[in-house]
Amino acid sequence: MTQKALGAAYEAEELLTGCQAVSHAVRLADVDVIAAYPIRPYTEVMDTISKLIADGKFDAEYIIADSEHSQFEIAKHASAVGARSFAGSSGTGWMYAMEALAVTATDRLPVVALVGNRALDDPGAFGVEHNDALSVRDLGWLLVWAATAQEALDTTLIAYRVAEDPKVMMPCAVAMDGAFLTHSQHMVRLPSKSSVKKFLPPYSMGNRRLHPDNPISIAPQVNEDWVMEIRRQQFEAMSASEKVIKEAYQEYNGIFGTEYDNPFLECYKTEDAATVLVGMGTVVQPAKMAVDQLRAEGKKVGFARVVWFRPFPAEDLRRELASASSVGVVDRDVSFGSPDLGGVLFNDVRAALYPAKRRPTISGFIAGLGGREISIDDCVKMFAETSEYAKRGVGSVSWIGVRE
Amino acid sequence: MWGSLIPETVRDARELASVKRIEINYRGIFQKQLAKKIANYVVYVAHSEGKVAFSNGRYSDSPERNGVPCKYFTFVSSDLTEGQLEAVCGSKMDIESADVSVVLDDTMVKGVEPWAWHGIRPVNEKIGPGGKMIVVTTKSRGELVRFLGRKPFAYDLALLEGEASFSGLWVFKDDSTDVRVLGAIARADPGLVSIKAVEAYTRSAFKGEKAKAARLAHDSLLMHRVEPSEGIDWPHAPPRLPSWKEMREGLVVPAVSRAYAKGPRGQSRSTTYLRGTTKSARPVVRFDLCTKCTLCWLECPDECFDPTTDGLFDVNYDYCTGCGKCAQVCPVEGCIVMVDELRFDNNDSPWERYKIAPEDYVGWAKKSAGGDYVLHNVVTGTGVRRVKVPEGKGKRS
Repeated sequence: MTQKALGAAYEAEELLTGCQAVSHAVRLADVDVIAAYPIRPYTEVMDTISKLIADGKFDAEYIIADSEHSQFEIAKHASAVGARSFAGSSGTGWMYAMEALAVTATDRLPVVALVGNRALDDPGAFGVEHNDALSVRDLGWLLVWAATAQEALDTTLIAYRVAEDPKVMMPCAVAMDGAFLTHSQHMVRLPSKSSVKKFLPPYSMGNRRLHPDNPISIAPQVNEDWVMEIRRQQFEAMSASEKVIKEAYQEYNGIFGTEYDNPFLECYKTEDAATVLVGMGTVVQPAKMAVDQLRAEGKKVGFARVVWFRPFPAEDLRRELASASSVGVVDRDVSFGSPDLGGVLFNDVRAALYPAKRRPTISGFIAGLGGREISIDDCVKMFAETSEYAKRGVGSVSWIGVRE
Repeated sequence: MWGSLIPETVRDARELASVKRIEINYRGIFQKQLAKKIANYVVYVAHSEGKVAFSNGRYSDSPERNGVPCKYFTFVSSDLTEGQLEAVCGSKMDIESADVSVVLDDTMVKGVEPWAWHGIRPVNEKIGPGGKMIVVTTKSRGELVRFLGRKPFAYDLALLEGEASFSGLWVFKDDSTDVRVLGAIARADPGLVSIKAVEAYTRSAFKGEKAKAARLAHDSLLMHRVEPSEGIDWPHAPPRLPSWKEMREGLVVPAVSRAYAKGPRGQSRSTTYLRGTTKSARPVVRFDLCTKCTLCWLECPDECFDPTTDGLFDVNYDYCTGCGKCAQVCPVEGCIVMVDELRFDNNDSPWERYKIAPEDYVGWAKKSAGGDYVLHNVVTGTGVRRVKVPEGKGKRS
């Protein structure tokens, strides 16, 4: 077996962590302003970017903030004055930035952020849990989960393209499973700067750029007389983002030879599957192995990975899961007190499938919290429980891998 | 089809004439506690008469802003349930029509703009046919009607003798204006609350003179009919609010272009955010006394002062909130004084007037500003009675 040749669109292939891959995407996107504040596991992103700058490989304003709140305020303001900007965080750091995150979305500033998913303190824990990134799901942030280091790099470049599209103009959070993807090292192909330029046009705020020569005010105080129209505009932008995302992936595939077929939903052997598991992030790997194992035993199973959580691929799920009679949803999060006490993804998938022509049974699984492993065996168990839904009934949610 | 699904009782409730609506126009923060007390007293009194009532301060006014025109409401019904009254009158930012409209500061007859996007509206806008407008004032009927917008029908203007009661920030000034207005309401619309019930309430809740003040105000209220022919054609149209498709995205609104020139109106300003209706008094400048110290220009929180070619400072009254800070920082006694807003018909440049006819202007300013008038101290709320300033007796002159 010989090494696969790098395409013309690439400049190198390096062994990188997910964090390092994102950092290179920031370099390749020629980001102007980086606002940084350390919190694990995101920290390696700021480490890597500062080294790229120190080594003379990257030229950008690198601002170390005094907190995550300031960090995201800096990124927001930089974006408003016309600078392509980047910030990132994890866990409670992301939560501490919440006020800035909310206004960044409403002000329609296309900041791209990396969220290295981390369990929310307390207890202090570094492992992955998706609750941090999910906290912006209703705010008007685009929200996408990468599952490999290569995908993290590609997705970050695509995130800038989508976020800055004049029809969209929304911030985008690129999430990845902390401690796993953020820190495991894989061979990553690095696109050349010239090919990235073809894909990613220069950032332009147009007549919304905050500058003394373009006298505007952003976000004056308003009342009931304006708020609904503002939300309606956000709604429109989020609706428009779906098409923009599709086109961005198509063009990315064309330039870089990647094979992102459906950017929203990665489907593995779902076409004829009777039982399908749905999940986000790195759970895709053990889940695929479990699918192969069960397929070998003659069981019709498949796995669907939700890649973009916002906008949520409701139509794709209804189409791709049309043959499934039972669906199980793996949540690396928990939403206490939510309908049937499940996870966030569970309830969004249930809502998406409610209008389906043939509505499957839907089970929920809370798994892998705080970075606990979701093994292949766990996935096999979840497939079994999903197909045995009838035995358990409506609103069945189980915890996987918890000590009883 | 949906119409038939609305229960008869609800439809009846909407059509019932039994709901009485009171609006209390007040100035933000200085009169907030006063307006709230009046609104609440009406609820208590109506309740004592077996009626159902509730009060509601319009929070979207942001009534913590100094001097901003705001509204408090009270709704009273003799036959609706609490829930029905809430359904008909609750969760609303404004009312369609008022049976009684109270105006706690008479300078609001020049128009009210609680929120930039409401536009400058006539304070009598919500008064319905035969409605009553109670104004706390020392002015005559004619001095008020000349500013009011013309209505297509007759209504009653009730004058309650008194200075506008301004408290300090957040606090309440207990000068009996609250119970006096309550008495006036009972007189203006006895169907709302009876003076008998008002008296019973005030006598149980208060002592001394205050217990009797409502009855005295009730008896002394001066009622005047305002005919449809009276008042002015209102010059301000409400702003048209754009659809979401017309609005710029990302909460972007036009701001002020950079421009600066000496002279009146030389500095560029926002055409959207005027603050005209916030003031009860405006600064009158005696340009002949001015030492060109620049303090008014520097200290004005709303940047109302325009440096002129001759080193003086013109005032742009469209942006003046009447806060009085310029008058307080001015080191020359009598150079800047705050004058009752009802003495002015327009916002024209005083400097231009001064340059055209200096003696006329100074003469007018002496008469206007040098006379006996009340300056409402914005911090303490204490009315300071100013007396005539002897000519040329500035602190530094």
